[in-house]
Amino acid sequence: MQNLTVQSSIDFVEVFSTKAGAIYQSDSENCWYIDFAGKLARFDYRNILKLKKAVYHIDIEDLLLNNTKAPDLEILFICACDHCYVLSLLEIIALKELLQGTFVMLELNHIIYDRLHRIII
Amino acid sequence: MKDIMRVKCLLSSDVETLINQQIKKEAHSSAIYLSMASWCNRNGYDFSSDYFFAQAEEERQHQLKFFKYVLDMGGNAVSPEITNVKGEYNSFREVFEEALEQEISVTQSIKNIAARCHKEQDYVTIEFLNWFFREQREEEYKARRALELFDVIGEEGTGRWQIDKHVGQISYSSEA
Ligand SMILES: [Fe+2]
Ligand SMILES: [Fe+2]
Repeated sequence: MQNLTVQSSIDFVEVFSTKAGAIYQSDSENCWYIDFAGKLARFDYRNILKLKKAVYHIDIEDLLLNNTKAPDLEILFICACDHCYVLSLLEIIALKELLQGTFVMLELNHIIYDRLHRIII
Repeated sequence: MKDIMRVKCLLSSDVETLINQQIKKEAHSSAIYLSMASWCNRNGYDFSSDYFFAQAEEERQHQLKFFKYVLDMGGNAVSPEITNVKGEYNSFREVFEEALEQEISVTQSIKNIAARCHKEQDYVTIEFLNWFFREQREEEYKARRALELFDVIGEEGTGRWQIDKHVGQISYSSEA
């Protein structure tokens, strides 16, 4: 028999999803996978926080209101992270929604851990 | 699902943000005290100048204490940008009035962090903050005492010279 280590690649748990995409958590890798804008990208703890910060800092209202001829495209480049997103205004709004939902779910998960799991030992 | 955020960092993002704001506030305090030291020096109040130099150094230490705490707990400490540092004062007394005002606002903002921590049951950070509450007791005491010298001694005649001499001697020694 061949020595095949079958990695259970299905240790993904969906944290949050919208019509535009989804974010999964991998407990074994301690990271998140973001399925958005046609690609699946891996983000570790530091990078997902950097992505959150970058997305939350985009002034959507300003992009909506300014009537310059420049296309409504934002380039999201995260330092020391392999991924970069080039997003339209609508995609930015969608990604922000996805991230907000995700962080609410992570917070909820944290509260459950804090109030239940870590008390009953 | 694992609570990865908590494994990586003890602080909630709200508390982390508040402490980073405090880091900026301490850095700002330090810069203001340095500015006060400069003003006092230029105007011949040598003891007060030394007093403010020492205060500036203390505020820098406060900033680093918060900074290291955030890092030690797994968070992201942000080196702040400092703007808005006043360079001129209208009077010797005004310098001390603003110094006290500054300390009161610092006490207030640390109380704010503690309030948030209580809400989250972040007793670890509360315990850390207790050192600062003690420190603020001393800081406010010294600033208030300095300002009181203006009333006790009076500014007439050689009053300001006397006040300046006494500023260097203010110390807080309560063990309570
Ligand atoms: Fe301070
Ligand atoms: Fe202070």
